[in-house]
Amino acid sequence: MKKIRMDMIFSHSSDVVSREIDGALIIVPLTSGMGDMEDDLFSMNETGTEIWKMLDGTKTVGEVISVLTVQYEADQGKIERDVTGIVTELLKRRMLVEATAA
Amino acid sequence: MSKRPPREYQRPALQKSGLPLSGKALIELMQAVHAKGLPFRFRAGGHSMAPFIRDGDVITVSPPASSAPGLGDVVAFIHPETQLLCLHRVLSVNGKGFLMQGDNMPEIPDGMIPRDAIVGRVTRVERAGRRVRLGLGPERPLVALLSRCGGLAVIRRYAAPLYTRFSRSHGSCEKP
Repeated sequence: MKKIRMDMIFSHSSDVVSREIDGALIIVPLTSGMGDMEDDLFSMNETGTEIWKMLDGTKTVGEVISVLTVQYEADQGKIERDVTGIVTELLKRRMLVEATAA
Repeated sequence: MSKRPPREYQRPALQKSGLPLSGKALIELMQAVHAKGLPFRFRAGGHSMAPFIRDGDVITVSPPASSAPGLGDVVAFIHPETQLLCLHRVLSVNGKGFLMQGDNMPEIPDGMIPRDAIVGRVTRVERAGRRVRLGLGPERPLVALLSRCGGLAVIRRYAAPLYTRFSRSHGSCEKP
């Protein structure tokens, strides 16, 4: 798996549909060319939802971390580790794609 | 103006969603999937379309743009009064929209449903892992006519035991 750099930009894969419904983010993988509720659906907690929204093809990973550092009571090193961790997981599940090859 | 205090940090987590989806959530997700031109598969609840669609059947709804619904098609729509998702049969089509009714509820027709309330068309029904074709094949217009005149209820009353036997011995269901 590629190392996540701070200047990388990611966006949502076209192989997923996501919606925030009643305050909860639901991610539907479009497996087998359809949205299948009989397969696994995914959700994210509040921080995960904020990160997902910011990974919209406009912000670098570094910018996402900066926004979270201002918003939350946590040190930047921890947030950086967590953001790169969740980005890695989302890439592994093909829910994100790299928007630029910086 | 006071500065907003920092919020409590949670480690970001992605998890499998075990939340049951409400009707509204189902409609939103179905429309989002259809916007990509893809079908949507989910487990239906209710008895209004029995015997062709039963409680717990797995339904595939294709986007409305893929083909315009016609007489006898089973269509997913948002009921204008209840705002709930319904899967009912088209009994007639005119310029205003579609006359709809559940096969198992001839006494409660849905009335005319406008075209913009249509979410999609049911293209596949699966029951216990097998594809169910009866009621969705070329016999659709006949089923619609029978449903409209109340004949379906009469046939069901007298033919249900025969139908059950026939479907077991001749396999009206097939593997998807």
